[in-house]
Amino acid sequence: MTNSQKFERSENRSPMLKDLPPDGGQFKTRGHWRKIWANFRRRRLAFVSLIIISFIYLLGIFAPVIQTHDYQETNLRETQQGPSADHWFGTDRAGRDLYTRVVWGIQTTVIITVTSFATGSLLLGVSIGLAAGYFRGWTDAIIMRVGEVVSAFPDILLIILLAATLRPRFVQFARDIEDSTGMTGLVSSGIVDYVVIGVALLPLSWFGMMRLVRGQVLVLREAEYVQAARAMGTSTPRILYRHILPNVVSPIIVSVSFGIGAIALSEVILSFFGLGVQPPRPSLGVMIGEVTARGGASVSVLRDHPEQLLAPIIVVWLLIFSWNIVGDALNDVLNPRAR
Amino acid sequence: MRKMIIGMALSLVVVAAVACSGGDGSPTEAAAPPTSTPPSARATQPAIAPDLQDDEKADASAGDSGPTQGGVFNTLWSDPPTLDPHLVTDGTSYGIVIEVFSGLVRLGADTTNPFEPDLAESWSVLEGGTVYEFKLRNGLTFSNGDPVTAQDFKWSFERAAHPDTASTVAEEFLGDIVGIQDIVDGNATSAEGIEVVDERTLRLTIDAPKAYFIAKLTYPTAFVLNKNNVESLGRNWVDEPVSTGPFTLKEYRIGQRIRLARNDNFWDRAAYLDEVVFNLAGGVAMAMYENDEIDVTGVGLADLERVQDPTEELNADLVEVPPNFAVSYVGFNIDEAPFDDANFRQALNHAVDKQLIADQVFSNLVKPAYGIIPPGFPGFSADIQGLEFDPELAQDLLNQSAYADASTRPRIVLTVPGTGGSPGLTTEVVADMWRQNLGIEIEIQQVEWATYIQDLHRGRLQAWSGLSWQADYPDPQTFIDVLFRSSSAINYGGYANSQVDEYVVNAQTEQDATKRVQYYNDAEQIVVSEAAWLPLWWGVDSKALVKPWVQDYAFSSLTIAKFKDVWLDK
Amino acid sequence: MLAYIVRRLLWTPVLLALAAFFVFIMGTWAPGDPAELRLGNRATPDNIKRERERMGLNDPIPVRYFNYVGGVLKGDFGDSYHYQGRSVLEIVRPRLWVSMQLNIAALIVAVSIGLPLGFYAAKKQGTARDPAIVISMLVLYAMPVFFTAPFLILFFAVKLHWVPASGWGGFFSLQIILPALTIGIPGAAVFVRFMRASTLDVIGQEYVRTAHAKGMSNFVVNYRHVARNALLPVVTIMGFTMAGMFGGSLIVELIYGIPGAGRLSLDAIFQRDFPVLTAFVLLGAGMLVFANLIIDIAYTIIDPRIRLQ
Repeated sequence: MTNSQKFERSENRSPMLKDLPPDGGQFKTRGHWRKIWANFRRRRLAFVSLIIISFIYLLGIFAPVIQTHDYQETNLRETQQGPSADHWFGTDRAGRDLYTRVVWGIQTTVIITVTSFATGSLLLGVSIGLAAGYFRGWTDAIIMRVGEVVSAFPDILLIILLAATLRPRFVQFARDIEDSTGMTGLVSSGIVDYVVIGVALLPLSWFGMMRLVRGQVLVLREAEYVQAARAMGTSTPRILYRHILPNVVSPIIVSVSFGIGAIALSEVILSFFGLGVQPPRPSLGVMIGEVTARGGASVSVLRDHPEQLLAPIIVVWLLIFSWNIVGDALNDVLNPRAR
Repeated sequence: MRKMIIGMALSLVVVAAVACSGGDGSPTEAAAPPTSTPPSARATQPAIAPDLQDDEKADASAGDSGPTQGGVFNTLWSDPPTLDPHLVTDGTSYGIVIEVFSGLVRLGADTTNPFEPDLAESWSVLEGGTVYEFKLRNGLTFSNGDPVTAQDFKWSFERAAHPDTASTVAEEFLGDIVGIQDIVDGNATSAEGIEVVDERTLRLTIDAPKAYFIAKLTYPTAFVLNKNNVESLGRNWVDEPVSTGPFTLKEYRIGQRIRLARNDNFWDRAAYLDEVVFNLAGGVAMAMYENDEIDVTGVGLADLERVQDPTEELNADLVEVPPNFAVSYVGFNIDEAPFDDANFRQALNHAVDKQLIADQVFSNLVKPAYGIIPPGFPGFSADIQGLEFDPELAQDLLNQSAYADASTRPRIVLTVPGTGGSPGLTTEVVADMWRQNLGIEIEIQQVEWATYIQDLHRGRLQAWSGLSWQADYPDPQTFIDVLFRSSSAINYGGYANSQVDEYVVNAQTEQDATKRVQYYNDAEQIVVSEAAWLPLWWGVDSKALVKPWVQDYAFSSLTIAKFKDVWLDK
Repeated sequence: MLAYIVRRLLWTPVLLALAAFFVFIMGTWAPGDPAELRLGNRATPDNIKRERERMGLNDPIPVRYFNYVGGVLKGDFGDSYHYQGRSVLEIVRPRLWVSMQLNIAALIVAVSIGLPLGFYAAKKQGTARDPAIVISMLVLYAMPVFFTAPFLILFFAVKLHWVPASGWGGFFSLQIILPALTIGIPGAAVFVRFMRASTLDVIGQEYVRTAHAKGMSNFVVNYRHVARNALLPVVTIMGFTMAGMFGGSLIVELIYGIPGAGRLSLDAIFQRDFPVLTAFVLLGAGMLVFANLIIDIAYTIIDPRIRLQ
């Protein structure tokens, strides 16, 4: 997450976004979005990137359908094979099909991306940002200070620390639930892993978004149309929802699009260290960690069985690259004045 | 106790090294990481019968005048948790400590001659095996020139046992000496079982005639330290230790490197090398080796095919490393369902085709284990009946067990230490074999080493993998007694069998060597038949690369000082 | 403005204290016992009890915390749990120094590639070279370190033997080249992007057009006016980039075998070496807070419309 994250942060911080003037205050219409979409489509590279992203995500979503083998099925008579008709990307040391593992790994990435954004960035980040920006005063001060403490940690350390600390507790908790309710699959399906990773990534995701939204709201709340609405006695939630939120959507979209690559990379790093997704469930990070023996064998693998390393890496690479292109384009399209 | 594994390392790359040094958890670890560090480790401990490897090299150098003085030997290592011999419990520390410090006796290079006199020139066993009298060599000195006397040994043993030293193994390695237990318990400061007869004569009295006692004195807990050195420098005395081994510690930079320099006051012929540099920061070992940055490296799975290719340049440096004396296994908590049912455990044993895994996944770097004591180790018996792969028998046994019905079978969680080494390819393959052959689904749980070791100690793991046990000294006691006696602290699975207990207790004091081994073999057979474990691999039969200019670099299966004979022909 | 800075500076120690407290809480909540870890797998319950006592782990959290804070105020960060008898500073200082050197080297790489390239791309706006540069830098930027590092080692060390494969030999050694490239190249992409944007901004400014109109040579306009003014906002992100690199070189340090702070802090987590970890958090947080403050101030200087409050 280190790099993309830097990117994302700098983006949030850039003066260009900070002093972005509100869009006059009209409620954004369907037509407005259609125009933006048309603008976006004109950017060929961004459009292609969006298609790549969609394609990759679809692979993940439909993993159970398009898999050619079982992701955990070992076949010790077909280990370390190169790509073939039966194994499109070849097989790993245990004879498992790399193509199948990659698509399942993508599914893991999709799930983690969605959950950590849904909870951290969007739900927490946006709502807290709205509250802080609108109410200001003590609410704002407390939120900002807490956020500063959390974000003062070196990100990667905090994420690893959280994942290491939380996992055993969460897993135990889930087992207790399973045992007492007779439910099954809570742990084995990987749900606990997603929750742990999602929570561990919270500090990475919520504060940046919160600060962004808050900054926008601070400007917007002084806007004439908001003042007018307030004067007319419109309730606070309504002002926030109807008048302010729509105008913060653009920067949120831009920020999210820059952050998604970072989330994918975070999962890879966590799983690489054995703190993310648990075997036998595959993830891109698990695959990279396994095949490089946590880094030590990376050179040898790259030399002798490059497909084993490249299969998961190229997916991560494409995702980060494409999201950055898309983010850039969205930034241009949604915030024309920022350029 | 370098026994533990993979995880011991705690630190990432480090892990790899340790893995090797200790026995590796699973072959995966063993084999794979070698790439990353094991080189050193491999080089260090596991290792070889000297002759094997050195033949051609010796030839190559034939004609030269023989060993030349000087040079620096570079190797990869991982950060040792301690350099205080009395605190050593892990292979990483042991491999360095053994080059710097020494004790009365040391391990021989091969198991036919298990013990050699070191600082003691001879010893005699008196009083039916309860008194050991050691005669120190003449003119022994520490590296700073201070004489080494019997009094130094007495002080050192008592210091090792003192609670303030916080050694976790003093009790195990010295506890047989009369009076040591009182010191460990904090009730005394001096042990009556250690007598200084004169400057050069030390007499140790032990509580019962125990054949393996002499073996325990080879462990660093029994090494001699310089009282003045330790007391004057305080807690950081190991930064500038005064020692008796072939090398002295020249520099220790945590996480970066350790430099050893020749000890010119060594009692025997001084080492040829000027320095041995242990690089602690890690890195990609194979690449470093190919780039001439290190002189020896283990060959991991990932590189095996390439170095075995005769057309490959590196092939000329390839050396066979004999297996280390270690056994890796899947452990079962015998007190917990479903592992309380021997039929169930046996079924799991019979369902795993270890030979196939060894062939296909580990390129035969590992040797399938069907018993506990590794081949070549004292007390190994080829007659032990292991639980061989037999899926039908496995299915029958499962049906006979109390847990035949999957719907009522308790959840099975197999825990592996996940941080550091490769997370356990073995575990995944084994689990899949259970699934395919028996239809048993399990959960694999990776936890960090910190969590793993805590849960293991508390008996909270239901089944675990990623551990291996390496011999401390060449005596079957280090396997059978330590691992399976019901009261042993290392018996993590809580295995208890009164017959086994009786055999190992008898063996402790049995003076007849043949009978003694028979006791251990009988106990081992019971353990294996009852499937207390699922033994996986013996040792790690590894390959290493040694630079052509390195001469007389001997691998051995146990940890011994190896650099004193090495010389460079550059 | 001054009031703002003072307020921020006053808040910093509180923030650090809270951050340290957070680590303490995590430390007690985390599974795994530092005493047990240090003693290894053969420790008896008695050993562990004694060791916990010695390490002061049996005191209640608030007591330990206030002892710790008291120590830190006196410049004493305590002793490492893992490395017996070593003070935290003794361990942390050299590692931090290594990481700083590495990051400075990486920054040099990033700046020396990124700034000229970004400037060049902006000047070539409208030609195929501009998007070619931007896109190829983005490709490099997105390249996961799990690929970059082994690839560089394989190519430059193993195949060409130009540089050592791993290890650490100080700032002026050959060993620093590959890791500095690995961290620096994605960094260069960031600089290309900002430098390009900033140059485009400046090119559009009136004074540049005026300079051209006055008949000044292209060279003078480019370097006297455009490049200099374009650099200003870019410089501000350098500080930020540095701060961000603090934890970021972790995997690079791992693969290249560099005894840096990233590795140490990661080990500290796995070894439950909380004194070392806390020291890192305090130092890292301190640097970040400081960097943020500098950036905020820099922004007000560059863009007077932004007011700090």
